Amino acid sequence: MNLVSTIPQSGPHLSLEQRFAALESLYKQAIAEIADMRGRDALKTQYLSNISHDLRTPLTAVITHAEILRDGMLGPMNERQLDSIRGIISGGRQLLDQVGEILTYARGAANQLTLTPSTFSFSDVVGQVLQMNESLIAKKRLTLDLRVPKDLPPVFADREKVAHILGNLFGNAIDFTPVGGRVWIGATMRGERELIAEVGDNGMGIAPEHHDFIFEEFAQVDSSASRQHHGTGLGLTIAQKLVELHRGRIWVESELGGGSRFYFTIPNSKDAR
Amino acid sequence: MLIVEDNELVTGALSILFEETGRRVTVAHTVAAAVKAGTSDPPDLLLLDLTLPDGDGLEVVRSLVKNGVQPKATVALTGRDDPESLERCIAAGCTEVMLKPVPTRELLRKAEEWLA
Repeated sequence: MNLVSTIPQSGPHLSLEQRFAALESLYKQAIAEIADMRGRDALKTQYLSNISHDLRTPLTAVITHAEILRDGMLGPMNERQLDSIRGIISGGRQLLDQVGEILTYARGAANQLTLTPSTFSFSDVVGQVLQMNESLIAKKRLTLDLRVPKDLPPVFADREKVAHILGNLFGNAIDFTPVGGRVWIGATMRGERELIAEVGDNGMGIAPEHHDFIFEEFAQVDSSASRQHHGTGLGLTIAQKLVELHRGRIWVESELGGGSRFYFTIPNSKDAR
Repeated sequence: MLIVEDNELVTGALSILFEETGRRVTVAHTVAAAVKAGTSDPPDLLLLDLTLPDGDGLEVVRSLVKNGVQPKATVALTGRDDPESLERCIAAGCTEVMLKPVPTRELLRKAEEWLA
């Protein structure tokens, strides 16, 4: 609805009362349309949540059957058969991760995410994320710099969610950096009050006009069918949601061709909710 | 053992997995069928999905306890990993809650542990 073009203009034919009444009716119409759109948005979020659950079930069956075959429970497999079965399992797990991201997004959008904080070492979380990405780093022959001080004090936050944030940022860094490039993870504690983490790469970079856009849900700078980088388009939206749940901040410094540096902060206090 | 899950694709896979490791497997797709099967043939291990067509999977645990049946281990296999679901399962008497799909090797290793 284009409200501006339908606002009654002043003219010889309309009295002040008539114009006021027309405006009021437009206002009511706008309120109703907003309520309707919010309702549809909530329905869509609920749908995403339901469909992610429903997708997990057949995927569970696919992966379980493939693992039974892989482990030779139904008879020995030759190497080529094993390679093929491992492909089914990796594909299934990758799909499962993507479905999990959609579910996390839907829960975040419906404000159903809660924090389960504990005291933990951020270095351990970095180790966990690196382990998950080991094979990708090796495959792309990336140079990895770790700038996490050994004596970094422990953090009080939701460990799993901090790992999720770091995992999403680091996954992007690897994805958007060409073969032979450089990626890094850094961390520092500001006055013991706040953890500042950095995930950087010397990859393709992001034009400044896209810095806000990339945090929006489903946003992909290149959304064409021929795009090189695939995914749900939810990684940064989820990272932002999880950072904000901790009352932290997340931002990017980058320019096209100049690599990217993503930063996030996690307040290290028991006030975090 | 008793596997309670409404999706036949999943019970099919889990049945093969456990039968191939020498266990006798009974499958139920609803709360009602699970309570009936579990009461007439008490299982040592109960694997349980939480959302069943005729109600809450945890109802199976409660009804079996009422009928004097207490498996060595009751394990909820769930698609939800939120803290509320976890608490609900533990409160109902589950030994453990695992997020689907549990890697088969882990599931078999755990089963040995539960039934040891």
